[in-house]
Amino acid sequence: MRVTSSVDGVARRWYSHRYNRPDLYGLAARLGWLPRPLRLALARQIGRLAPRLVPAERAAIRETLAQFTNATGSRLDALTAQAFVDFAMCFSDLVSTNRKPRAQLAPYVAGTEGVERLRGLTGGFISLTAHVGNWELAGRLLAGQCARPTHVVVAPEEMKELERWVRRDGEGVRFVTRSRPTVSLELVAALRRGEVVAVQGARALGARGDTMISFFGRPAPFPMGPFLLASAVGVPLVPAFCLLTADYRYLVKVVEPFTVRRGDEEKAAQAWGALLEDVIREHPTQWFNFFDIWNPLNR
Amino acid sequence: MEAEKVLEELKNIMVERLKFDPSRTSELTLATVLPKGMEGSLGLDSLDFIEMSMAIEERFGFVIDESQELETHFESLGALVAYITLHMAEH
Repeated sequence: MRVTSSVDGVARRWYSHRYNRPDLYGLAARLGWLPRPLRLALARQIGRLAPRLVPAERAAIRETLAQFTNATGSRLDALTAQAFVDFAMCFSDLVSTNRKPRAQLAPYVAGTEGVERLRGLTGGFISLTAHVGNWELAGRLLAGQCARPTHVVVAPEEMKELERWVRRDGEGVRFVTRSRPTVSLELVAALRRGEVVAVQGARALGARGDTMISFFGRPAPFPMGPFLLASAVGVPLVPAFCLLTADYRYLVKVVEPFTVRRGDEEKAAQAWGALLEDVIREHPTQWFNFFDIWNPLNR
Repeated sequence: MEAEKVLEELKNIMVERLKFDPSRTSELTLATVLPKGMEGSLGLDSLDFIEMSMAIEERFGFVIDESQELETHFESLGALVAYITLHMAEH
């Protein structure tokens, strides 16, 4: 039972690091003039150096990858290094390629899987994703497929200046910052109008809206918001991912939509966790959460 | 429906749907502020507002028109009571 309003507290932002700075975003964006193969080669070099600069993140991702893959020793070291390299490339694209008009993005898409599933959806739906691969590009590309407004729900940035690099409204995409609790009423309205709400489903908020699910065999906090919203409005959840391929393009993957019955939200969160595990098993080095996902407040 | 009755129904929603301690409902007045982050508020978060809006529709029998600016109507119990009372009168 809920006893006091203080159980809500203020959602703690449990992960931040000193490199999350506007000047570094700006620098990365300014390199956008480079031909993409050269820019990504540079990103890979920086990605190889990065683990030395962020030892805590290196340790966290190494432990995470050990849990994901059961790898040890040099194999685990290689996977850990690759996670930083993959992240550097996706980050470089985030602040450059992602900002191109949608019509110019086709050369960067290696293929699509299951996108036809979107065409069968006539009403509103929730596009559910995670910090895997180039998640932001998935939202932009799929918004083009849906032909209706997409509201991307994001956490407020610690530094407002960062938002200009990663959040740009346009071409049917609108960013909605979770800065006010009543923002959920806007999302209900959008879904009822038949529009799309895109949310992250793997970073819990550190508030009472989280639930513990089994994730790679250990309990981890996951956000309940997407599942409660889906059951309340009666719309399907559509898991979607954008994964970096071996030729440095992206595979857009849309998984079978599912619905959530009232009271089954935790079960739905668990099903989502299992689905996410499958994607991560195929692409473990594209899991871009550089903290202990099982104990995010324990640092 | 009278404002007093609407307030009582909202208190019931707080207990039944938002899982508030029933003993706390005596503290709730029309001046009670709802959203988390505002001084002296009940601390309702985004999930509470989803639950509350659905419960209001079921309990009072009208569909909330979210195309309107709703933030001010959900700011306090008094504002919400006024909003619901107005809708009840219209339907």
